[in-house]
Amino acid sequence: MPLYQIKNLTYFYPDSQRPALKDVNMNIEEGEFLLIAGGSGSGKSSLARVLAGLIPGFYGGRIGGSVFFRGKDIKQLDQRSIAREVGMVFQDSEKQLIMTSVEAEIAFGLENLGLPRQEMARRIAEVMSFLGLAELRQEFTVKLSGGQKQKLALAAVLAMQPSVLILDEPTSQLDPVAAEDFFNLVKRLNEDIGMTVILIEQRLERCFHLADRVVIMEGGRIKYEGTPEQVARRAAHCENPFIPPVARFFAKTGFNTIPVTVKEGRRMLRENFSPPSRDFYLKHPVVVREEEPILRMDRVWFAYPDGREALQDINLQFFAGELVAVLGANGAGKSTLLKTMAGLLKPGRGRIMLMGREPGSSISRGAWNSCVGYLSQNPSDYLFHDTVEEELLYTLKNFGISPNGAVDEIMDKLSLQDFRHVNPRDLSCGERQKVALASVMVTRPKLLLLDEPTRGLDYRQKIEMGKVLVEYCRQGASVVLTTHDMEFAAEYASRVIMMFCGRVICDGPVHQVLSESIFYSTQIGRMCRGFADGVLTPEEALAVLKPASSGKRERK
Amino acid sequence: MLDRFFYREKGLFLQSLHPLSALMYIAVLLVLTLMFNHPLYLLGLLAVTVTAIRAVDGIDAWKTFFKVSLGAVFVIIIVNAVTVRAGETVIWHGPYIPVFGKLDVSLEAVCYGADMGLRLLDIMSIFCLYNFIIHPDRVMDLLSRFSSKSALVLSLASRMYPAMVSRLDSIREVQAARGVDFNAGTLKERMGKYAVLIKILLLTSLEDSLETAEAMYARAFGSGRRSHYVRDVWRLRDSVCLTASLLALGAATYGWAKGLGTFSFYPRLAYLIDGYTGIVFFFTVIFLLSFPLMLSWGWHNCPFIKSKI
Repeated sequence: MPLYQIKNLTYFYPDSQRPALKDVNMNIEEGEFLLIAGGSGSGKSSLARVLAGLIPGFYGGRIGGSVFFRGKDIKQLDQRSIAREVGMVFQDSEKQLIMTSVEAEIAFGLENLGLPRQEMARRIAEVMSFLGLAELRQEFTVKLSGGQKQKLALAAVLAMQPSVLILDEPTSQLDPVAAEDFFNLVKRLNEDIGMTVILIEQRLERCFHLADRVVIMEGGRIKYEGTPEQVARRAAHCENPFIPPVARFFAKTGFNTIPVTVKEGRRMLRENFSPPSRDFYLKHPVVVREEEPILRMDRVWFAYPDGREALQDINLQFFAGELVAVLGANGAGKSTLLKTMAGLLKPGRGRIMLMGREPGSSISRGAWNSCVGYLSQNPSDYLFHDTVEEELLYTLKNFGISPNGAVDEIMDKLSLQDFRHVNPRDLSCGERQKVALASVMVTRPKLLLLDEPTRGLDYRQKIEMGKVLVEYCRQGASVVLTTHDMEFAAEYASRVIMMFCGRVICDGPVHQVLSESIFYSTQIGRMCRGFADGVLTPEEALAVLKPASSGKRERK
Repeated sequence: MLDRFFYREKGLFLQSLHPLSALMYIAVLLVLTLMFNHPLYLLGLLAVTVTAIRAVDGIDAWKTFFKVSLGAVFVIIIVNAVTVRAGETVIWHGPYIPVFGKLDVSLEAVCYGADMGLRLLDIMSIFCLYNFIIHPDRVMDLLSRFSSKSALVLSLASRMYPAMVSRLDSIREVQAARGVDFNAGTLKERMGKYAVLIKILLLTSLEDSLETAEAMYARAFGSGRRSHYVRDVWRLRDSVCLTASLLALGAATYGWAKGLGTFSFYPRLAYLIDGYTGIVFFFTVIFLLSFPLMLSWGWHNCPFIKSKI
């Protein structure tokens, strides 16, 4: 008997006329690792909520069809019974932590289940040891790093000893190393303990190969379903973007066998392709550097009041036409760098010059702000007006700039015209991000600083944003963004800066930096390492790598 | 950073006390501060409290509180000196002020104001000590035995507060980057700018609270009767500290009933030291209150004591 049986599931959120899920039929077996992918609004999170009993229990709304868990109708199961069996880790670890300290947080769910004290103590000790959280037992949850918070959220759920673990984009805020660490842990739970894992993820290069089965959703329906290889093959032929880059590359070159791991891809690459000539040419964006940088940082240091030196001896220059990606682990100093450049934090030592002038002496604070646009990690911090248009006019008014068609121009550029008179708080996460970006770009700043702008965006939204930013750079501005998304950086950045513990440890053209790095690289970059160094994206690989005449055995 | 003003786990003796014994110690210090008005006793209590703060490595943060409180102490002394006419030893004859009358400042009124200021310093220092030695979750644990839901609400609120402060900083930065100058404009204009901050904070908090509630629901909150996880163990040190605190309270109550620990300011100042009994009583109370501090010293410096308590 399958663990879950879903028959003709249709669901409408309260006050919504459009179904979030429509005629979904599927079974989930015990011990399976299921990956659910799809764009924003495709229904994957809604499906996860149904499986966790949150729909309709918590959300209400109208539900049709039936969902059986271990043969019982999930609607007949009470909240406690479901919580004992199904644990869910949400996207934003910050919002799912409830208690002040680590130990109390893990105990919270157990207390809700009404477990006896001895049992709680045993489970807490066990899960802390398993996840390496024992040393953080008394620590305040607000003090934990992003990776530790996500691990704690997982610990809090695991302590309840569920048989099903549902993860809703759990690594969207983690750096590549922490994300890898998290997925390894989840894989261990699946393989060693036999826990059923249902993972919802947008960044498929991280986890596609871990799944036993992949489901791709679109418009509330299941579009493809099968093993990773089957789904990769079918999705690639239909130009569906929800497959990892290695699979996309091999599918486009006409291979019958589609690899889903870097290891398989590397093997197939070496067996079927000839190495490119040394002087192969890639069409990288050529940045013509003007003599005067837009912003220059000389020996800049910044320390927070607790003494932590978030920036140490930073020497950087940013030129017009550059799209710079700043990479590094959580806490490396990326956001502090951006805030310092935006003039929001004052360096303890060193000098920052904007277009050859220093703030305070030769350029006023207001003039600085109008030349530098800053988008923080949380787009909701920008939104408080009743309409999108008012939101944009607000920024212009603050800087004393007359609109002169700037609002229409930026709305066209970011495809926001349909939302002109909509309350920005009613928009989806990706749309909110665009409105926040528009409210910054509307003043046409010479330097645009974006703190993790791709967070929460799906594949298509990322492409759209990437194109807008590249075009903006072409018009003579400079864009500096922080990101954990290597694929995005490789696709659109012209230069990459890597930070570690407040220091710049690497600064150079994107192809040079990402192809030299092991962890901060793309899936294609890792596959091509030592074979075609410098190739980072499927498109570049298609342009450079040609199948060897003798190596066609795996082709159609 | 504001971190240093709040509890931080440092693995120190006073932080390792059971919340019941730690709370009782704090409560006794507070009750005695309110019970006594004798400046020597208040000074003694301040000395004990500051030594305890030093034992938990919180003296830097306390200095900040101390500097802020000194302003309030100064105001208390001034206000008391110019408004109270009960003292006989006039040290300054001031001018005639309508409504108030002739402004005479007496030594007794100044001393009484200083004594009240000292009490304020005591209370502030005890509040500091509470912040440094008691983990908020452990107090919640203790309270939840009596009312688990109220304790949970308090715990949620205590977690939300630093999160909201940090969020407010981020929103302020965003507004500054969008051209809002919080220092410019009239008072009304500046209030308007701050109102926007609060509006965004409330909107965002409301949205976030829905996600937090969802996470709580997914972890079975509200699904029935909750149990209670106890992570604190009762050790010999807790028995000793609790006994010392209760003895100090008992001795203080006895002495207070006998008129010890009180000081007469008006119409003339009484003698500071009122006999042998008063001295013995004073040292007894201070000795009992210092017991946890002695244990703390022993715990940190003597492996034998550490192994026994």
